[in-house]
Amino acid sequence: MIQFIAARLAAYVPTLFGVSIVLFLAINVVPGSPAQASLGINATPEAIARFEREHGLDRPLHEQYVSWLARVLQGDFGSSFQAGVPVGPELMSRLFVTLELAIFAFLIANLIAVPLGCLAAYYHQRPADNAFILLATLMGALPNFWLATLLILLLTVTLHWLPPGGYVPFAEDPGRNLMLMVMPAISLGVVSSALLLRIMRTSMIEVFSSDYIRTAVAKGARRGVVIWRHALRNALIPYLTVGAVEFSLLFGGVVIIENIFLLPGVGQLALIGITQRDYPLLLASVLLIAVVVMTANLIVDVIGASLDPRRVRTAGGE
Amino acid sequence: MTRHTLVSRRDFGRVAAGGLAAGVLIVAGPRLALTEPKVGGTLKLAFDHDAGGFDPAKAVYGMSHAVIEQVYSGLTALDSEANPYPDLAETIDISEDGKVYTFHLRTGVTFHDGSPFSADDVKFTIDRLKNPATGYSYASQLANVTETTVVDPNTVQITLSEATGPFLVNLAFPGSMIVSKKLVESGHDINATPIGTGPYTFGSYQPGTVIKLARNPKYHESPKPYIEHLEYTIISDQTAITTALQSGVVNFSNVIPAKDWAAIEANPDLTKAAIEGGRWFWIMVNNQKPPLDNAKVRQAIAHAIDRQAIVDAVFYGLAKVIQGGVVPEWSWGHAPELKVLSPKADPEKAKALLAEAGFPNGLDLDFKIGTEWPALMAMGPIIQANLQAAGMNAKISTMGTTQYLDEVWAKRGYDISDMYWLSPLADPDDFTSLNYLCGSPMNAQGSCSKEMDALLNEARSAPTKEARADAYRRMQALSMEEMTLVPLVSALILHAHTNKLQGFKPMRTGFLKTLKEAWLEG
Repeated sequence: MIQFIAARLAAYVPTLFGVSIVLFLAINVVPGSPAQASLGINATPEAIARFEREHGLDRPLHEQYVSWLARVLQGDFGSSFQAGVPVGPELMSRLFVTLELAIFAFLIANLIAVPLGCLAAYYHQRPADNAFILLATLMGALPNFWLATLLILLLTVTLHWLPPGGYVPFAEDPGRNLMLMVMPAISLGVVSSALLLRIMRTSMIEVFSSDYIRTAVAKGARRGVVIWRHALRNALIPYLTVGAVEFSLLFGGVVIIENIFLLPGVGQLALIGITQRDYPLLLASVLLIAVVVMTANLIVDVIGASLDPRRVRTAGGE
Repeated sequence: MTRHTLVSRRDFGRVAAGGLAAGVLIVAGPRLALTEPKVGGTLKLAFDHDAGGFDPAKAVYGMSHAVIEQVYSGLTALDSEANPYPDLAETIDISEDGKVYTFHLRTGVTFHDGSPFSADDVKFTIDRLKNPATGYSYASQLANVTETTVVDPNTVQITLSEATGPFLVNLAFPGSMIVSKKLVESGHDINATPIGTGPYTFGSYQPGTVIKLARNPKYHESPKPYIEHLEYTIISDQTAITTALQSGVVNFSNVIPAKDWAAIEANPDLTKAAIEGGRWFWIMVNNQKPPLDNAKVRQAIAHAIDRQAIVDAVFYGLAKVIQGGVVPEWSWGHAPELKVLSPKADPEKAKALLAEAGFPNGLDLDFKIGTEWPALMAMGPIIQANLQAAGMNAKISTMGTTQYLDEVWAKRGYDISDMYWLSPLADPDDFTSLNYLCGSPMNAQGSCSKEMDALLNEARSAPTKEARADAYRRMQALSMEEMTLVPLVSALILHAHTNKLQGFKPMRTGFLKTLKEAWLEG
C-alpha cells in the first residue's frame, strides 16, 4: 500500500510540471498583454515599459518561465501583477473556502444520489425507476449558474430567507457561514448528483442480480437490510471512482459559482488570473486545483483498495 | 504679486455647500431627520470592478483611485460640484501671470505610520510623477510643471511653463495624491500597502473580493471622517449589486445599472440620487484607416445614430443625448448653442454625406465591442441597425477586455468601436483633452489636428474662466466639423444608499471623497 501511494505521489511532479508549461504557453499565446490588461485604456508606452520591466515581462518567455519555476521550487509563488498581493498566502486562505464549498456540494450530491440511486435500482423498470431517471436527466441538464440565479431569485429576492452572497469564515460565525454556503452548494451539488445517481443505480442493479443478494432475499432478509447492509457496500466501489472524478470536477468547476455568490475562493482567483493575464495568480491557482484533484483521486483509490485489495496490485502496476 | 488666493476648506465650504446646480436630477427617498454627525458604524459599498494596486503613480483603475482618494490627501481636493479647494494646503497663492503657485501647507499633518508630512513629500511626489521612468499614465496632467521648490518645510512653490487653468483640479486627481518620501525611498511597497495622510487608513485587500479601510483618528479635519469602517465589496455582476443592495448585504452603491433603477427607487429603505457627471459614451472611429480618414464619412456615422433610442433602450431614460460638444450641460465649459446632432437618427443626411464623400452605395465597417461593458454591448445592435439604415454595413465582433485593449486600443485594428469613460476630474479640460489631443493615450481613434491642439491649449491656458469657456465653445464646434469621434450620450451616475447614511453629497466625478463629511445613524 505504501509503495502504491508513493508511486502515485511521484506522478504528481511530472503532471504539475506539464500543467504549468501548458498554462504558461497558453496564457502567452492568447491575444492581450498583461501590461495592457493592467493599465487599461490610459496606458502610455512609458507606463507599459515600466510595468513590463517591473514584472520581468520584457524578457524571453523561457527565461520568464524558468525564473518563475525556480522561485516556486523554493516555495515562493511570487506576487500578483496587479497589486503585488503575495500569491502563496492568498491562495492558502482561499483553499479553505473552495474546499468547504466543494465538500458541502459533494455531500449534497451524495445525499441525493445514494438513496435515490438505490431506490431506482430496487424498483428497476418500474414507474419509480423511470421517475428517478427522468429526475436525474433534468438535474444533469441544469446549468449550475442558472440554478444559482433561480435560487437567489426565490430564496433571497422573494422570500428573504438567505443572503445573496458573501463569505464569513466558519470559525468566526458558523451559522452565518452555513447560510452563505447553502445556495452555492445546492447549485453545484444538485447538478453533480445527476451522474452519481445514475452510477449508483447501475451499480446497484448489477449487485442486486448477484447470487448472494438472491440468497439473502431467499433467506427472508428485510428489504432495508438487503439494500443498505448487503448490496450498498459492493455497489460503492465503482461509485467511489466516479465520485472522485465528480469531486474533482466540483473543485475545478467552482469558478462561476464563486463569482455569483461572491465567495473568495480559488476559482475566483483563477478567473482574475485569466482575465488579467496575471500568470503568477493563474498558474498557482490551477496548480493548487490540480493537486487537490489528484489527491482526491488518490484518497478514493486508497479507500477503494481497502474495500477491494485487488485494486492495489492493478493500480500499483504489479 | 499675488493674483488670487484660494482660501481654506473652512471658508470654502460655505460657498461649496450651496447645493447642487442646474442639470441635476435628485430622486430622494424618505430621509431620517438630519441629525448631528457622530462617529461609528460600517459602510459597505458595492463596486463592479476590481482594484489594481494603490500606488497613486501606478494605479489606473477607477477602483484603485476610489481607495487612493480615501487613504491619501492631495494639495487640493474636489467638492461635490468638482470645484477644487485646498486640502493639504491651507492656502494657495497664484501669481499674476498664473505660472507660479505657492502652497502654504497645513502644519501638524502626519502619515498613517506616524511620520510627519512636509514640503519635501510634496516635491518628492511631483518629481516622481514627472520622472519618465515612473511611467505615470496621467503625466500629461502635469506636463506644464517645470519646477517644484521647497521654500521652507511648510511652503512649496510649483512653477508652470504657462498658465494652466485646470492645474488645481489636476492636483486633486488621485494620481497626484502626496506620498511619503521616506516610505517610498525606504522601499516600502505602497502599491500593495498604501500609507497616506487621508481620512482612512488601508486595512486589507483580497483580490476580486473586498477592500477594508478604517477611520484615521488623526485626520487633519478631525473629527471627520465620521464613519468608522469602509468596506468596498467587489461584485462583478451588476445585477448582483442590485440584489446585494436590496437585501442589505451592502448599503451603498454608485454603480447601479439603469435597468434596475425602478426596483431601487421603489425601495423605501434607500436614499437615491441620479446625477449627471462626466460619464459619456462615444463611437471611436479609426481616423487613420481609409475611408474613415474622411471627415464626411465620420459625420455620416454621427448623423446616422438614433441617440434617443440609446437613451431609452440602454439607459431606461437615465441618460442625456449629446447633440454637440462633449462638455455636459452642468459644466461652465458647455456649449449650449451647439446642436449639430439631432436626438433622432437622420439617415438621409448620413446618406447624403456618404455620397459627398464618394460612397453613394454605402460601405462596410468592422465594429468591435468589448464584452465586459454591458451598456456598450447593449448599444451595439442599435448602432448597427442605425448604420444599416444609412447604408453602412457594420459587422459586429465581440471580445474580452484584454483582447479588446490589445486589438483595438494598442494595435488600432478596427473601423469603429463604442467606448465610454467617467471623467474623474469633471473639468472641461478633462472632458476633452484626453480624447482629442494628438498623441494622447485615450486618443485611440488616432486623430491629429493642429487646429484642435491649438484650441485645447488655448482653452487650458487662457487667463480667465470666461476666456477658457469661449475657447472650449470654439473647440467643441471644431470637434463637430472634424468629428474625429462620434459623441452619443451622457449617462447619469446612479447612487443609492441606506437611509441611515446622513450628510452625504454625491459627487459629479463619481468619486467618494465627500464620504468624510457623512455619518451613519443608529
